[in-house]
Amino acid sequence: MTTSVQKTSWRTNPTLIRYALAFQSSKGMAALALVFAITSVALLAPVLFPQGYDFQTRNALVGPSWQHPFGTDEIGRDLMVRAIYGLRTDLGLIFTAVPLSMAIGTILGLLGIISRRLGDWVQRGLDVIAGFPGLILGICIVIVVGTGWLALFIAITIAGLPSFGRLARATLLTQMNREYVIAAMTLGVSKWKIMIRHILPQAAETIIAQGAVFVVAAVFIEAALSIVGLGLQPPEPSLGTLLNIGMLYVTLTPMYVIGPTVILIILALAFSLLADALNEAVNQR
Amino acid sequence: MHAVTFFYKTHGWQTKMLRFLARKIPSVMVVALISSMIAFILPRFAPGDPAVAIAGSEATPEQLAAVRAELGLDQPLVLQYWDWLAGVFQGDLGMSLITKRPVSELILSGLESTLELTLLATILMITVGLVLGVLGGAKSTGLGRLLLDVVTTIFLATPPFLTGLILIVLLGIVTPILPVSGEVLLSEDFVEGLKYLILPALALAIPQGALVARLLQTTMTAMRNEDFVDLAKAKGVRPGLILRRHVLRNSWGPAVVAIGLRIGDLLAGAIVVEAIFARNGLGSLAVLSVQSRDYFVLQALILGAVIIAVVIQLLCEIILATLDPRIRLEG
Repeated sequence: MTTSVQKTSWRTNPTLIRYALAFQSSKGMAALALVFAITSVALLAPVLFPQGYDFQTRNALVGPSWQHPFGTDEIGRDLMVRAIYGLRTDLGLIFTAVPLSMAIGTILGLLGIISRRLGDWVQRGLDVIAGFPGLILGICIVIVVGTGWLALFIAITIAGLPSFGRLARATLLTQMNREYVIAAMTLGVSKWKIMIRHILPQAAETIIAQGAVFVVAAVFIEAALSIVGLGLQPPEPSLGTLLNIGMLYVTLTPMYVIGPTVILIILALAFSLLADALNEAVNQR
Repeated sequence: MHAVTFFYKTHGWQTKMLRFLARKIPSVMVVALISSMIAFILPRFAPGDPAVAIAGSEATPEQLAAVRAELGLDQPLVLQYWDWLAGVFQGDLGMSLITKRPVSELILSGLESTLELTLLATILMITVGLVLGVLGGAKSTGLGRLLLDVVTTIFLATPPFLTGLILIVLLGIVTPILPVSGEVLLSEDFVEGLKYLILPALALAIPQGALVARLLQTTMTAMRNEDFVDLAKAKGVRPGLILRRHVLRNSWGPAVVAIGLRIGDLLAGAIVVEAIFARNGLGSLAVLSVQSRDYFVLQALILGAVIIAVVIQLLCEIILATLDPRIRLEG
């Protein structure tokens, strides 16, 4: 059975064009520049600061200076270097966990194509996950796997599933009732082919935009779990663990808290802007 | 209030309520039972053996067995679950594995602190939500409106821990007017306690309040496009009166539900906020128990959290049904 589906090259792919347009607005440009700057600083951290995040100076807990813009921590390590290595940890976590969450969420959402009932059950399961307020889900995962990178990774992955799953399912349900899908089915095109050719690309558009939204949430999950002491364990710095220890010295050297907080806000701002620009582009039709 | 009295009189309000509860209670019980199982089983997945933690790593197998027997950990899981559940109904939540004190005692010692925090946070959340929401929902344009939208959006996007950090820096360090760490219970010293309470409560309340505000604003904007508002305008009712009598009164329902749902989030948020402000409430107890794998404390806390969430949801549905006569209790 062959159906003639128009092949589109990446040059004429409407989705890609729409995304490209997203970055022509000033908001999209600003977002892209910020994300690029943050990512390159994090990637280049070992080149920019070859002494590493554990290098100790003689001065502990000194305030900001030209040499140490964020000051130093309780055993004399430069806080800006630690914050940038912390950013590196955070980005490493996010750029692995969020795409995985997007992929699993999409698959779960599209499971409804096998049967209506299966889709309903999956949706119910995702609703249960979505029902856990705030940190509780993360804490449950820490209880099961113990503190550390893996717990954060799993917590972020699972926390994203409901939103991605719901988006994929919404696309599936609306597209399956569209005339062209019904026509294709009448012609005998298989469900799977319709899903890959038509539904998946449509779902991907909204899911990628939602991915940028969820990056911000993921940053906050890491930070919140680490601040209460259930995130990464020393010596590896992350923005949250820096804040966890920084809270002890906040009255002595406020920069211990302000520095990582500012980086956290810039990170969140960058991806919020990116999400906004992508959403606007997707909703333009 | 004619709509509500109409509802009371003609629908047999009390019977309806009883029937509503009779229909709801079984599902609430099922949720509670399932959550009790999860609360019981979850800590047992935790890596590490509590018997080793108590007896020390040099303990002989006989000593470990003795510790397990003493704690009842050598019994089959079903039996352990049953014993625990029977204990819960008698008010006995077991003993903490680490501190060797009764769990109920530990929970009581943190309860006052967390209750004070969430109570003040709820009041602040409702205030923030209603003020920002009503201002945003009232028709206005220009700079004020823009400012309001920006403020609500920023509040909305900032999670409690970040709000807390910013408040600490702004009001605790740059302009040191409030203490940033530690606590004094209100029962010990009301004024001093309130000083310690304000920042953490604000940190909890602001993001949730902004959510309530955004919802109220959307509802009010939608209400303003309804026919009855046009009718009131045509009758020549003053704009202020339209806002109060017609728009606001019809917008309370969703706001109440939003507030109720947010209270669960407030409780969850208390965990982080207590950690940031170094308060010794239930949130800190939960974190400590996770770190030390204190089974019985965790079980009790998880169960308590779920049951509170379920009860709040039920209360919301009841309040909503009494507020809005169009939603019948028989649903």
